[in-house]
Amino acid sequence: MVTIEVLGTGCANCKRQLSNVEAAVKQLGITAEIVKVDDMAEIMGRGVMMLPAIIIDGDLKISGRVADVPEIKKFLAGGA
Amino acid sequence: MAQQQTCSCGSSTGPAGPTRIIFPCAGQANTGQLTNLAAIQLTEEGYGNIACVALLAIGTESLVANAMNADEVVILDGCPMVCAKKIAEAQGVPVGQHLVITELGITKGPSKSFTEDDIGKIVAACWKGEGRKKNPAKPGKKNGGNDSGCGCGCGGTC
Repeated sequence: MVTIEVLGTGCANCKRQLSNVEAAVKQLGITAEIVKVDDMAEIMGRGVMMLPAIIIDGDLKISGRVADVPEIKKFLAGGA
Repeated sequence: MAQQQTCSCGSSTGPAGPTRIIFPCAGQANTGQLTNLAAIQLTEEGYGNIACVALLAIGTESLVANAMNADEVVILDGCPMVCAKKIAEAQGVPVGQHLVITELGITKGPSKSFTEDDIGKIVAACWKGEGRKKNPAKPGKKNGGNDSGCGCGCGGTC
């Protein structure tokens, strides 16, 4: 099972990122654990300086912008 | 065209986002006005940049050039008249994503009212790429091609 961490403090963009991740997982029909990380200390501890961000199975895929659903699906398919 | 905030510290990760230009039809009906509001919200969320479809309609060279150079042109039409899409095609601008608001379960008129949920529905559909074609339209000749503009697909014979 893939673990997807969505890092964000709760702003509109971070919420959009989370909903896009949920939509991507639903479209792919995969089993995934989606973890919302909104604790700033924890986010900084990951070395992430720009939000929102997505970490998939420990690998930082993107930070500093919202990814759309097709792009997240590519990440989940191992395309990037 | 910069699509979103960039940071000089170089700490962002991952591929740069695509540049997108969003043209709302801006029609008078509730669905047309919803395209404006959705385009504004999409711009604020960093999805792309809203641009004026009326400016495109008069063939403003700089806007046409920007649209041609964008990674994706997103058209938001309020109803099946698809005016904004026809305007883009008339200018030879390839449409990467096209959403018709009435196809999202939102009824056009007679009321001018709408809800925040209506806006959210359109914005979410864009983020999901629901209006994206598998094979984006290629630039056509200005005022040419098979689309006579009548919308019936007759090729100008009706």
